[in-house]
Amino acid sequence: MKANGGMSRRQFISLAGATILGLGIVGCADNSATSSSDSGDAASSDSSSEATGKVYYLNFKPEVDEAWKALAKTYTEQTGVDVQIVTAASGTYEEKLTSEMPKSSAPTLFQISGYVGLENWKDYCLDLSDSDVYKELANPDLVLKDGDQIDAVGFVQENFGIVYNKALLTKAGYSESDITDFASLKKVADDIQARKDEIGVKGAFVSSGLDSSSSWRFTNHTANMPLALEFEEDGVTNPDTIKGTYLPNYKDIFDLYITDSTCDKAELSAKTADDAVSEFVNGEAVFYQNGDWGYKDIKSIGDENIGLLPLYIGAGDEAKQGPCSGTENYWAVNADASEEDQKATLDFLKWVVTSDEGTAAMADDMGFNCPFKSSKESDNPITKAATDMIKGGKKAVSWAFAVQPNQEYRDDLANALNKYAAGGSWDDVKTAFVDNWATEKAANK
Amino acid sequence: MGKEKATNRVLSIFFTILSLAWIYPMFMILVNSFKTESSINTTSVFELLGASNFNGLANYVNALTRQGFAAAFMNSLIITVTSVALILVCCSMCAWYVVRVNNRFCKAVYFLFVFSMVVPFQMLMFTLSGLADRMGLNTPLNICFIYLGFGAGLAVFMFAGFVKTIPTEIEEAAMIDGCSPLQVFFHVVLPIMKPTYISVGILETMWVWNDYLLPYLVLDSTKYKTIPILIQYFRGGFGHVELGPMMACIMMVIVPIVVVYLVCQRYIISGVVSGAVKG
Amino acid sequence: MGKVLKKWWPLFVLPTVLSFTFGFIIPFFQGAYLSFCKFKTINKATFVGFSNYAAAFQDPEFAHAFWLTAAFAFLSTVLINVIALAIALALTRKGLKGTNAFRTVFFMPNLIGGIVLGYIWQILINAVLSSVGAQLLSLNTTAGFWGMIVLTLWQQVGYMMIIYIAGLQSIPSDYLEAAKVDGANAWQTLWKVKIPNLMSTITICLFLSLTNGFKLFDQNLALTGGDPDHMSEMLALNIYNTFYSRVGAKWMGIGQAKAVIFCILVVCISLVQLKITRSKEVQQ
Repeated sequence: MKANGGMSRRQFISLAGATILGLGIVGCADNSATSSSDSGDAASSDSSSEATGKVYYLNFKPEVDEAWKALAKTYTEQTGVDVQIVTAASGTYEEKLTSEMPKSSAPTLFQISGYVGLENWKDYCLDLSDSDVYKELANPDLVLKDGDQIDAVGFVQENFGIVYNKALLTKAGYSESDITDFASLKKVADDIQARKDEIGVKGAFVSSGLDSSSSWRFTNHTANMPLALEFEEDGVTNPDTIKGTYLPNYKDIFDLYITDSTCDKAELSAKTADDAVSEFVNGEAVFYQNGDWGYKDIKSIGDENIGLLPLYIGAGDEAKQGPCSGTENYWAVNADASEEDQKATLDFLKWVVTSDEGTAAMADDMGFNCPFKSSKESDNPITKAATDMIKGGKKAVSWAFAVQPNQEYRDDLANALNKYAAGGSWDDVKTAFVDNWATEKAANK
Repeated sequence: MGKEKATNRVLSIFFTILSLAWIYPMFMILVNSFKTESSINTTSVFELLGASNFNGLANYVNALTRQGFAAAFMNSLIITVTSVALILVCCSMCAWYVVRVNNRFCKAVYFLFVFSMVVPFQMLMFTLSGLADRMGLNTPLNICFIYLGFGAGLAVFMFAGFVKTIPTEIEEAAMIDGCSPLQVFFHVVLPIMKPTYISVGILETMWVWNDYLLPYLVLDSTKYKTIPILIQYFRGGFGHVELGPMMACIMMVIVPIVVVYLVCQRYIISGVVSGAVKG
Repeated sequence: MGKVLKKWWPLFVLPTVLSFTFGFIIPFFQGAYLSFCKFKTINKATFVGFSNYAAAFQDPEFAHAFWLTAAFAFLSTVLINVIALAIALALTRKGLKGTNAFRTVFFMPNLIGGIVLGYIWQILINAVLSSVGAQLLSLNTTAGFWGMIVLTLWQQVGYMMIIYIAGLQSIPSDYLEAAKVDGANAWQTLWKVKIPNLMSTITICLFLSLTNGFKLFDQNLALTGGDPDHMSEMLALNIYNTFYSRVGAKWMGIGQAKAVIFCILVVCISLVQLKITRSKEVQQ
């Protein structure tokens, strides 16, 4: 009992201490609550902050998170300006942005994926017409506009098409010049598929996994071709309804992917993006529809072995068709941020796209092919192949898929493709491709 | 009675197998956390370690260094320890007061506490994160204030349930001896309530340590991550998941929990039981 | 006693009540109010009446999430309790060796957080599905649903088992002996003696697992994330996604309205529980 008494005295002191701590927190919290409610609107409430602004960049790409952090550190060392880089976990950018925006320390710099995302965030976009980052753009069309206002500036130019393994294509007895349109692509692929054991591959194309890690290659990128061609023909950029004029071609290319493949159609739904990468890297397949962002994953087969073909689907002017070139990465500056923070952010962006450190980091560490005047050329072989194609007179295909209504639409399409691959009817794909466009566009309104 | 024995033997064997199956998911993560990145894919998960796929501690090093594991672990630890300490001290005092004073105000407060226990977090996630941001409750220490408020329901309920069973005579005797209420509480009531402290402490620790959504929405994401938030960052862009480091990270999260559990098993289990019976 | 203590409220109740006010009461009522508003941030809210509720009830995904959650909660409650009770009965048998070790193992998963659990099972289930050539979790509604059931069982059976064991151990041994003397077999003892004496424990466990089932979020988010196409999305996740992942300002209000509906639903279930528990206490 006595020993217990001693114990409880000590406990008493420590617990009392904790209580005081608790009260302390309460006190602090209370103060800040009153002060912030006094000053009203969140944007300019931080009266205690210094005159120099801060930068808070909510980054979209997890794979370049570290490179951004390193670059931010360099900038802070040089200028003393605080730059925070936060990356949303994969697939959570939109929700992260939604939950961060109302906060008092909201992102000053954020990303928009295209006109669909702009709908949601245009109220938060500062007009960038007079900004240096916009003036530095080599291609002034790579922006998101709302009327005359420049809402967002594209900062990466990405290309996709059909990536192929040069060594394996040679081994199969072909070269790039043998593939000039969809018909010849199909002929070569069919032949490789027929002689796969002799060539030592498992299939012409890597497995077209349809789970969410991989389905975007087909619902977004493959679908870009029929969409781009239809938009061009109809003279529209962001229609509320589509006709699906080139849907049969979409079927042709998708059939080719899943027929001349490393695995049986029925197994596709059990394949992931990682499976496709490992098949390509291990030399089990010749063709892999993907873009220059995937270079890091397939680097190990050697730069000299990586080639790029246009994404032929058997429509349009295939003799002149180049890679699909565009971006889903636009920078927008938060219009609600304080003026100091906006200025700090614009200064940071200018530094990123013009300074040696910035351009080098963007090109080498992040592997971006940037559209700015002083951007350093990336040594990514897929990007190089795409650039060469365009220099050689081919015409880049724009990223029409960027105006697909929303993620729901893409998920539905993936589902339909999956059912089709498992032996279902193409009509489901047609419904998901054409009818859902109108439904989901309306649901966004 | 031979039949009884035979049944027991069969049951023993059955439960041994079932126990092994029960541990298997954790065992699988352990095995795979030592494999090389390229040898972990959807089909090879079941394979055991061998010379070809053994990667040593590389995944652990990767998880530790790259994603800020140590910082996240510390944040989780700070939040859990501080929140639970606050909850235990403040809520037990509050519960004692509420039961002993028992006026209209106390009854109303008690009702609200009980009500808060059943309200799902989704109901207030948006408004709470806004409020927390404006009040500056977005650091690992200050977030504990929210945990105190949000965890108060269960804690006050359980403490109050116990206080009701303590006869008031002892406290009154101490009061007559000249103790202040504070002294009565810490010298008399607190020692009697020790088992309840353990129960509440364990239940609240399990909740706070594993909580995902509240810190994800509330914490200043430019600076702080907790363990459950960190795990998500092993999924890269374009569907690529860094399974090796992710599993190493999972292991580093599970192992301390398992160790603590094995050491304090008796308390944890009795804590859970009394918590459930009262809840 | 009460009178002396009364003055001490700033020390005894203020910290808790203050944090409770900011951590619960204010956000709760703000949330209730915002469910009648269109808003993007709390400061810029315009009152729109019941239109959010109308939209919530018309949202097919919400209805789907509701039925899925109801089915999940019901099924998981039944399975968890049947299995947990069966294990508890076996582990309280006299003469069975290793009961402590078994108890330790079965309870362990309960300590692991929902997010981590979700990822563990995602890896495991995908491996199983892939090796039998079935569709992976993100495409497979059936596997998603049963995956969540299995995960929940793994997590909660041990917890409920512990409570059942405590309940069984608190049955006075003379009851069991009396039954033995009367020549009751094991089956009769179970139904005539053990179960009736366990009724309050059973009620507690049933409602604990039922509310857990309805509120399930972390596991759902980490295991399937609602894939494919919201088909494995339960109520809590649906509300979260409506709030944070939908394009367009109107969805915030709808999300908050859904949250209020969800809240009322969970509160109702708890009220039923309270009523049943109360009536039991009166009987005893």
